[in-house]
Amino acid sequence: MPEQPPRLAERIIRWLAPGREGDIIVGDLREEFQSRGGSRLWYWREVLSCAAVRLSPHRLTAPDLRQDLHYAVRVLRRNPGYTLTAMLCVALGIGVNSTVFCFVNSLFWEPLRVAQADRVVSIGRTDDDSTCSYRDYQELDRRSAAPGGGLFSGLMAVDDMSTSLDTGGPGGVSQIIMAEAVSANFADVLELQPQAGRWFTPEDERPGADPVVVISDGAWSRRFGRNPTTIGQRVRIGSDWYRVIGVAPGGFVGLSPPHSAEVWLPLLSQAWVRDYLANPGERDRPRVRLVGRLAPGRKLRQAEAEMKTIDAQVLREFPRDNALRGTITMDIAAGASMPAVREFATMMAVMLLSVTGVLLLIACVNVANLLLSRSAVRRREMAVRQALGASRFRLVCQTLSEGLVLAIGGALLGLVLGYWANGLLAHSLPALPHMGTVSLNLRVGWRMTAFAFAAALASALIFSIAPAIEHSRTDVASSLKGESPSRRMRQRDIYVVAQVALSLVLLIAATLLLRGLQHARQVEPGFAMDHRLAARINVSEPEYTPETGRLFLDRVLDRIRAVPGVRSATISYTTPLNMSGSVCAMPDPTARPRRVSSDVIVPGYFDTLSTPIVRGRDFNHRDLPSSPRVVIVNETYARRSWPNTDPIGKSVWLGCDPNRPRTLAQVVGVARDAKYESLDEAPRSYVYRPLAQDWAGFVALIVQTTGNPNDFSAPLRTMLHGMDSNLRVYDIETLEDFATESLWRVRWQAALLAVFGGLGMLLAAVGLYGVVAYAVAQRTREIGVRLAIGAQKADVMWMVLGRGLGLTAIGIGVGLLLGGAVSRTMGGLLYGLSPLDPVSFVLASLAWMLTAMLASYVPARRAMRVDPVVALRWE
Amino acid sequence: MRDHHLGEFEQIVLLAVLRLGDDAYGVPIRREIEKRGGRKVTVGALYSTLDRLEAKGYLSSWFADPTSERGGRSRRYFRVEPEGAEALARAKEVLERMWKGVRLA
Repeated sequence: MPEQPPRLAERIIRWLAPGREGDIIVGDLREEFQSRGGSRLWYWREVLSCAAVRLSPHRLTAPDLRQDLHYAVRVLRRNPGYTLTAMLCVALGIGVNSTVFCFVNSLFWEPLRVAQADRVVSIGRTDDDSTCSYRDYQELDRRSAAPGGGLFSGLMAVDDMSTSLDTGGPGGVSQIIMAEAVSANFADVLELQPQAGRWFTPEDERPGADPVVVISDGAWSRRFGRNPTTIGQRVRIGSDWYRVIGVAPGGFVGLSPPHSAEVWLPLLSQAWVRDYLANPGERDRPRVRLVGRLAPGRKLRQAEAEMKTIDAQVLREFPRDNALRGTITMDIAAGASMPAVREFATMMAVMLLSVTGVLLLIACVNVANLLLSRSAVRRREMAVRQALGASRFRLVCQTLSEGLVLAIGGALLGLVLGYWANGLLAHSLPALPHMGTVSLNLRVGWRMTAFAFAAALASALIFSIAPAIEHSRTDVASSLKGESPSRRMRQRDIYVVAQVALSLVLLIAATLLLRGLQHARQVEPGFAMDHRLAARINVSEPEYTPETGRLFLDRVLDRIRAVPGVRSATISYTTPLNMSGSVCAMPDPTARPRRVSSDVIVPGYFDTLSTPIVRGRDFNHRDLPSSPRVVIVNETYARRSWPNTDPIGKSVWLGCDPNRPRTLAQVVGVARDAKYESLDEAPRSYVYRPLAQDWAGFVALIVQTTGNPNDFSAPLRTMLHGMDSNLRVYDIETLEDFATESLWRVRWQAALLAVFGGLGMLLAAVGLYGVVAYAVAQRTREIGVRLAIGAQKADVMWMVLGRGLGLTAIGIGVGLLLGGAVSRTMGGLLYGLSPLDPVSFVLASLAWMLTAMLASYVPARRAMRVDPVVALRWE
Repeated sequence: MRDHHLGEFEQIVLLAVLRLGDDAYGVPIRREIEKRGGRKVTVGALYSTLDRLEAKGYLSSWFADPTSERGGRSRRYFRVEPEGAEALARAKEVLERMWKGVRLA
């Protein structure tokens, strides 16, 4: 008996080349196998070579796929209405997702805008915002450069700070900006060329050197009109004057994105830095962040490990009281630099991506629905192809390639939409307060494009899998006869229910946020906002001492109060719902000092803000620096510190330093509780101190006007500059603006959710319409029969409407349950509104019912107009 | 029809089929190429070339009745079509033109 070829090998060939082709090859091999005397080794070699040829990438881009895609494009082109609807749905989903992705990308992965940004590393420390002290930086820099080639081609220190920038001169507007104090090798490490002038040199760091500054491209065009004579000009940053020596290249916004730095200063030219360094015992301050450029050939992880070792050595050799915690971390510098921003951004990203993800899902379900209704139409075609010998796999491939073509078209359209949406988002961002100047790179880049196509691929899979399975399951015999099973309808119904439920969740969330905002507006803030204006001014050294400053502020108040149209004016350190302060104030001198919110004010403050004093008295002119210290507390502080006793005359110990004696102050009054930092805060303890006994040079003038407070803004600025032409006056805003700004996050989220909820509803309504219209088309004959035997038109209409509304009702039921689960996570954004607020749930459901009526009414009307004669002749 | 350029292996396969005449199916084609061409051919490479030539219209194939020595499987026979012969002639002509007057040192 002749030997048989290996069975496994034959099977592999059959798998590689199915059908007749495999037969032929197996036959050939068997024939030769026999004539060669049964060499198994030979047989296996042949199989391997066959596999190599068959599985080569060239062959795998099967001509089948190309043919499928070609056919798909043809089918889609023949049905432009259907194609366009489906593509628009996908485009909407992908466009919104791409924009959100772009936003997330710029916060997490956007590289610095410098040459070879992938070699620039940000060195941080676990559990800390900064990396190390300046002295440690010097040590790390020296040791990492040690023999055998350094770790870095340059290592620098940077500290970002909020300060003010004045271009000087009368009438100039001072602005709060972000500055970066950097070591002199800043531009060398980042390989930055100045656009004009020069960057820092080691000379600029020497003690006694002329203070210099490099300004950003943005600052150059906004403040100096891109004037070349800016170089050499003097500007005031904080309290000191600096000479402009250069302009950074366009697009470079520093090392602290998403905040943009407007100026760069040599770290060592800062007085506070020099003060710390003058004290040899101080090893912990000033704190800096380190940024370096990896030396050529150095790998990130290897450099990180070496830095950890060096850092541990430095910490061991220079012990200190409050030892640094955490270890060195090193990452390619990209995205937001500050952990706090990253944390906030993560929260936003999760919210946005889940909302837009739901939207994409709704869009996918919609397209799946469309494809399913098409598949009903194409059952015959599929059955014919199957009867002619197409395998199920081929039919599934065909459906998937149609989905792919749709999705790719959708992605392209989506990118266009995304580009447009990016512009919209970029415009809405600078309006966000509390973030300084924010610049996010929202250009359509390769990452966003890649994301859009990945999303397209995923959605193609999601929305064509059901129709593909449907097609492959086609029962040839019954399809060719034109019978249609009822199972498909049920599947499409489930889709509609899912869509309604998902979009209802978005709607509920949006309604809750909007109602929450409304709720916040009704919160009693405990002070009056209307007709009140706040101007922040800087009355600080070197121009003013506390003594001259107080005198100046007294004069300012007198002048303002004398202006017609001004009802009252006062001064405080904080501004309500905008800027806060704190102090350690304990009723018990032995207790550990804890911080409570606090303000420094002048007599008459409570009158101007209409906050009543419920017990005791206001500050007055007899409360002088030399007289016994006094404070006013709020009701919560009084209640918590001295329950059931009269707080007037009680003692409060001020001071946070455990090593210094605390100051005793006496409570002279109790003020009504108010909202201090945000409208949704719980009642908090609050302590007011008189400006006469507690100096603050950076204060707000609060003015109550009879007319529109905004009208007083320009005269106020002029008046202040008239009294001191060098006085730094910052933005002037109304107290109502502060309240509005403090709600920005919720307003922003509500707006986004409202837009997304609306889009979701639109998509789902299209889906609902499709299902109801399809049902009408399917039942034309039945409706004709009904009408022929005497059914009323209204009955028919209700029959159809009932179907749409029934599906919607189930969807709403599911959506309400889901919404209830989701809204629980939103408690913190609702300003005291219950997350299960019935009004929001009812409103959102009603909106959906109304939409469902509209979406079902059109097909219902068509059903009503069915002519029995035509309908019965159909088929 | 576009002017397809024939690769060397394609020419060899076409010539083998021509030489074998009525007996041109997988096994003898491989033997012929191994014997005369002095090169080993794997079954995978052979069939992918045969399929390609058939798709171009240079070859045609048909299935014979199953035989027992092949475990009840049929043979696939090939024949060179006029287009294939023409392409071969053209390839030869090109080579001859190129060789004319060339002398290798």
